[in-house]
Amino acid sequence: MLQGEFGEILEMFRNSFPLSFLFFIPIFIIISPVSPVNAAHEFAIYRMQQFDLQGSQFGCKSSLINMEARPIDAKMLTRRCIVAKLADVTISKYRDLITQNAGGLLILLPQNLSALKEENKQHLQSLERDLLLEENGVMPVYFAWETPELTAIYDDINSATAGDQAATAVEALFNSASANGFQMVISGSQAKALSDFKITNIQGHLSGFGIEEQLPTIVLVAHYDAFGIAPGLSTGADSNGSGVIALLELARLLSKLYTNSRTHAKRTCYDLFLEFYLYVFIFKKLPLWKIKFIMCIDTVHCKFNYQGAKKWIEDNLDSAENNVLSDVAFVMCLDSLASEDSLYFHVSKPPKEDTPAATFFTHLEEVTKTFFPHVVVKMVHKKINLAEDMLAWEHERFSMKRLPAFTLSHFEAYKSLDRTSVIDTRDRVDEEKIVRNVNIIAEALARQIYNLTSQGSIRLFTEALEVQKDLLSAWLDHVTSQSRAAQLLQKDSSLLVTLEETMSRYLKDVKKTYLIADKRDPEFVFYDGAVQKMNAFNVKPAVFDLFLAGAIVLYLGLVYLLVQNFHLILGFLSKFVQPGTSSKMNGAAKVKAN
Amino acid sequence: MTLFHFGNCVALAYVPYIIVYKCSGLAEYSAFWKCVQAGGAYLFTQLCKMIILATFFPTSEVPTGGLDVIGEFMKSTVDLADLVGIHFVMTKIAGKGQLKFMVAGLGWATAELITTRFVTLLVGARGIEFDWKYIQLSFDSNISLVHHICTAMLVWLYNRNDVNKSFVPIVMTLLALSCYRPLIVEILIHAVGMGSWPLLLAKAVFTSCIGAITLQMYLGMSMQQANSFY
Repeated sequence: MLQGEFGEILEMFRNSFPLSFLFFIPIFIIISPVSPVNAAHEFAIYRMQQFDLQGSQFGCKSSLINMEARPIDAKMLTRRCIVAKLADVTISKYRDLITQNAGGLLILLPQNLSALKEENKQHLQSLERDLLLEENGVMPVYFAWETPELTAIYDDINSATAGDQAATAVEALFNSASANGFQMVISGSQAKALSDFKITNIQGHLSGFGIEEQLPTIVLVAHYDAFGIAPGLSTGADSNGSGVIALLELARLLSKLYTNSRTHAKRTCYDLFLEFYLYVFIFKKLPLWKIKFIMCIDTVHCKFNYQGAKKWIEDNLDSAENNVLSDVAFVMCLDSLASEDSLYFHVSKPPKEDTPAATFFTHLEEVTKTFFPHVVVKMVHKKINLAEDMLAWEHERFSMKRLPAFTLSHFEAYKSLDRTSVIDTRDRVDEEKIVRNVNIIAEALARQIYNLTSQGSIRLFTEALEVQKDLLSAWLDHVTSQSRAAQLLQKDSSLLVTLEETMSRYLKDVKKTYLIADKRDPEFVFYDGAVQKMNAFNVKPAVFDLFLAGAIVLYLGLVYLLVQNFHLILGFLSKFVQPGTSSKMNGAAKVKAN
Repeated sequence: MTLFHFGNCVALAYVPYIIVYKCSGLAEYSAFWKCVQAGGAYLFTQLCKMIILATFFPTSEVPTGGLDVIGEFMKSTVDLADLVGIHFVMTKIAGKGQLKFMVAGLGWATAELITTRFVTLLVGARGIEFDWKYIQLSFDSNISLVHHICTAMLVWLYNRNDVNKSFVPIVMTLLALSCYRPLIVEILIHAVGMGSWPLLLAKAVFTSCIGAITLQMYLGMSMQQANSFY
């Protein structure tokens, strides 16, 4: 009985075979998964900066791309993703794209940025500046490395649009049918603001000898984040990786002096290696100054306006019991120290004679004159422009609160584009220069803290107290190994953990402080999606499908004819088997496809 | 690509099967049910093969992209079970003389098409990415239809008592060739470094050669039959 029912059901399907087919196919199609990530090209792309600062928006506001790729000189740009090499993108072209409603821009960067020629470098830097200043940057802009895979895609796109200039309509049709299009897709949603983003400052100090509260304080500051057109690419080796490394090295060197002189009895073995005069000098003189080290996420450059430093100042000015800032001798900011043979002493107001800052400057000059005569030390005076949104140097944050402050940098002009470029990579900086600059600063600082004025040509930081080049080099590798854009440095990022650990090895009371933007009226807002994955799908135009369908129909027609007339073939073949006899074979036919 | 592309691929893969079924006279004998049974036999045979492979054949550790001749040879040897399966279909599922191998071949090929190609097409050809491999896959299924009918015919010839004795070695050779076809294809891919289109062409030529020879022998047979009792 069961068999009977089964047979009945089968009979039903057998009789209405085409109908049941129609019934099942849509179900199959609906339930079958469509995986877009199938055999596609996938590559990392780096989004252009997007941030809000004091209410005004910067960078590209949109982030979604799901459209066909076109070269930059194509005629139809509306709702297309433009793929272009760096050399072909100019700011006027960019404006052109915006007016034509292009859907997105993918800029291919040469893989070896450090080997870029001078003119290309300038092109990149001015493009970075102009892109950021562009007011109505609604179009998503992404950067990618020019890998062989992407170059192939780029070439394909370029050759595909060559068909637009075909002579005849037929040729154009064939060209468009045989073209190799690409669909660029970024999965994910529109870039969202990072809420409750925490900006981290790390601080620690070395206390001098004497009553702690009465000692004058030197504050050393360096910001550790980097800025470039794409946050995911900003490794900032010179600006300000070098400043961070210099700060860490100064902390290491000075901590040795401080711990030694404070603990006379418990000398560690390494000062046995010190030369005699240094030995004597350490025991005679105890450091009379307190040094504070601050590592700010000085939220990048002129762009984010040194929010970290601002926060630190506010914290320390407000707290009554910790009046650090009342007896600050001077604040020294370290910024970009890894290149060129010059060291500029940037101030907002030239220090008066006999103030600690002025003394330090003379020490600095003397040290360079004695030990590094080829280095130029110069004071650069630039007044704070309160009308401008952006601050030029980090020390201006302190100067605004009437603290004596200055910045040490190898850049003479604050407007230098090198400070805010993705081109600032590890290969472009020179460890030798950092070592030399750290040496100069350390010597000058030592003269300051021991109140040495007439020691002549004594060099303190040699032998066991030497600046270690290998260490600096390793640090430089580490800080440039990943992007240090402010929005990518979450409060528990590995770089921050390493920095804090290292500082607590040398300094006392190392702590982190956090800054969260105000909820209602945020001073800064960052957005996510700095590094994303893009898929390029090889697609064919709809005309191609039509052509293909035509070809298939033709082929199937041939097969049909072949099968219908198979007995002719059989008859032909059977002549070879038994000449003269023709067989009539209709029963068994066979396809000879292809 | 689009649903249209999927439709193209499916048409290319399946319509020849329908044409063969309609035009070869199977439809007139209403052999549909027999073809389904042959497909069932195919599934059963594959299950047996899988169990044998999983039980007795160790997984060889060959780096991806490398050629594992011995492993492939073993797998192709297990494919001999296919021949047994086809033989079983032809002996157990009744059918008239020449109809037998048509039923076995067509049923077998259709079952293979549905189980191994349909899902690939369904998932792959509808993705955004365009790839020629789905069109190639569809062509390949046409070739394997010819291949399976040839194999069925060879098995039928082998089991005939009245076959010309001089044919037996040829039949054996052809059976072995069609059985070890995957191995030969694999070697072609790796040794000659053949691209996908030339490979498809090579498969087509290979299959049509076997088909032509088989057809010759079959015709010789049917002549005798015609002389004796047809």
